Amino acid sequence: MSGAVGREAVFPTRQSLGLMKSKLKGAEIGHSLLKRKSEALTKRFREITRRIDEAKQKMGRVMQIAAFSLAEVSYAVGGDIGYQIQESAKQARFRVRAKHENVSGVFLPQFESYTQEGVNDFGLTGLGKGGQQIQRCRETYARAVETLVELASLQTAFLILDEVIKVVNRRVNAIEHVIIPRTENTIKYINSELDELDREEFYRLKKVSNKKQRDVAAADAEILAAREKAAAQQATNPEKNSTVQVEEETTDVLGEQEDNDVIF
Amino acid sequence: MEGLFFNVNGGYVEGIVRGYRNSLLSGQNYSNLAQCETIDDVKLQLAPAYGDFLASLPPNPSTSDLAGRMTDKLVSEFRYLIAQATGSSAKFLEYMTYGYMIDNIALLITGTLHERDTRELLERCHPLGWFETLPVLCVATNIEELYNSVLIETPLAAYFKDSLSHQDLDELNIEIVRNTLYKNYLEDFYNFINTHPDFSGTPTQDIMAEILQFEADRRSINITLNSFGTELSKLERRKLYPEFGKLYPEGSLMLSRAEDVEGVALAVSAVADYKAFFDSVGLSQGGGMGGMGGGPADGKSLEDLFYQKEMDMSKLVFTRQFTPAVVYAWMKLKEQEIRNVTWISECIAQNQKERIGNFISVF
Amino acid sequence: MAASAATYKDRQFLAVIGDEDSVTGLLLAGIGHVTEPPGSQRNFLVVDSKTETSEIERAFQNFTQERKDIAVLLINQHVAERIRHSVDAFTEPFPAVLEIPSKDHPYDPEKDSVLKRVRRLFGE
Repeated sequence: MSGAVGREAVFPTRQSLGLMKSKLKGAEIGHSLLKRKSEALTKRFREITRRIDEAKQKMGRVMQIAAFSLAEVSYAVGGDIGYQIQESAKQARFRVRAKHENVSGVFLPQFESYTQEGVNDFGLTGLGKGGQQIQRCRETYARAVETLVELASLQTAFLILDEVIKVVNRRVNAIEHVIIPRTENTIKYINSELDELDREEFYRLKKVSNKKQRDVAAADAEILAAREKAAAQQATNPEKNSTVQVEEETTDVLGEQEDNDVIF
Repeated sequence: MEGLFFNVNGGYVEGIVRGYRNSLLSGQNYSNLAQCETIDDVKLQLAPAYGDFLASLPPNPSTSDLAGRMTDKLVSEFRYLIAQATGSSAKFLEYMTYGYMIDNIALLITGTLHERDTRELLERCHPLGWFETLPVLCVATNIEELYNSVLIETPLAAYFKDSLSHQDLDELNIEIVRNTLYKNYLEDFYNFINTHPDFSGTPTQDIMAEILQFEADRRSINITLNSFGTELSKLERRKLYPEFGKLYPEGSLMLSRAEDVEGVALAVSAVADYKAFFDSVGLSQGGGMGGMGGGPADGKSLEDLFYQKEMDMSKLVFTRQFTPAVVYAWMKLKEQEIRNVTWISECIAQNQKERIGNFISVF
Repeated sequence: MAASAATYKDRQFLAVIGDEDSVTGLLLAGIGHVTEPPGSQRNFLVVDSKTETSEIERAFQNFTQERKDIAVLLINQHVAERIRHSVDAFTEPFPAVLEIPSKDHPYDPEKDSVLKRVRRLFGE
């Protein structure tokens, strides 16, 4: 698993370790938020699908009643009005406008039907006979169309939600299975690299201090030898004593620094 | 005395129609039809009366196909009658077809106005309103040409000539055109049966005058009721009322001033029949627009009552003799029968059995 | 999702493809609209047994792809059957394609493109 995920190409520095850690934290928060969003949407989605099912059944009944009222019209008029209706249609009286509802950041359109005032293409249809039936039939059909519009908004919401839920789930999965493991991997990698560097550094310092100790020992021995030599010389020439004293002091300073480094 | 020579010219036609009348569906047939479960059953029940015409229908035909075949039978019978009729009877039968012609012409006008291919409309025309020169009208591409061809080619020229110009066809609502034509037609028909030497003073005049007066009144009332809430002005409305009938002139004057259903009820209250209709559907009590036509609960609407009355009158016509008016009555009965069957099969097809009894049967 | 707001703001009409009775009824309800000439377009199509499938197809494409003012497309289920592949392939949220029953063809939820998706989602 982790082999497939890989890690990000970063230099294993302390700075990028900090970056990665905040990134991991972000991803985890994002994941839980998206997960909750997806759950909210799914809840809504299930509710909508249930309502679609109901509305489709209702539509069947409503349309049947409407079709029957049309049969009443043809009984009363005693003829075919279809063609005339088709030809006299000019301006839509029954229209829809879309508004939207916000569900967890997703805009779901909702159609709302309204009647355009002052538009009446069929006012005089059936003037001679059947006008009352036609009037009734219009009302029945208008009610039926309202049901249809309601169903249409549900269906559109269904399609949009379906799409959105897919996207959200994809993101949740991406975060869960790709981004988080990869970030974790990177952190692990940086940590191990840093440890490695630490160990190398430690070893190096050790080596250095060893060398220094050896050098110091050698220097001490030298100094000792020199002192003995000097003591021997002092007996012969006491003027040179002061310069040897100065050299001794400088080596002491170096030795102190060495000790500090090792402790650190 | 008038019956003495009637049979020389009109006897055969009358005999045939009386034969046709016997094939009309009776109450017994209707109750059988109402019991049917499927359209196929309906088809089976109709077989004695409509045999050949229904035979070629596919199983479980649509109701409109069924109605179409029944109309075919009516048309072919009527064509036979009109072919057999001579003299004034033939003229009378022709008059009967003018009403359908008006519908056809209105259809063509609509088509031409919207620049559709009017040839396609020919098959939508009512076959009874078909006349030989009808296809000629399809040649017209604009409304002025159409108007001229109507004037030249059709029997309806007289109805157009004085009341409509070609600009009117363009500007007025097709329904107003149609109703103006129909008004002229009814008046002309009324005039014809009252003044034609073969008919004046005969049973034909008695019967047809009554029927046409009823038709005229029905139209006036319907137009008034249906025009509420539309842009049709009272003045225009007034022009659509036929100028005869029981309501004419006082009643129609009141109708033309009526502003609501109560006004209409008041206007017709002088005629006992119509008053009874309005009372029974509860309109005179001020039911308002909502109660118009009666809800489905109380069964009959005003329209239904008018149809019922028309059928009763048509049925009575068969008690008279020596008149081509029986053809008119038979045709009305037959049309109602087609409507009834359509209604019944519609109820069956759509599973609305509770309202299946809403047809009008007179025999 | 904000981008889609622009795509449905102007949609205010319903369109219908169906048999004569369905179309007549829906037009009576007042959904019929004919755009201004020239090039006036109707938002309804009457389908009968003689109508070519290609014509239905064209109307469907016109209402769903070309016209941007249609919010809901109503189509008779038996008509949708004839161009099922196009209806199934159309998955945009706008316009909403709604299959409606007709007088002679009662509604069958098994054939509905959207309901099929609903069912599939719940693994039924």
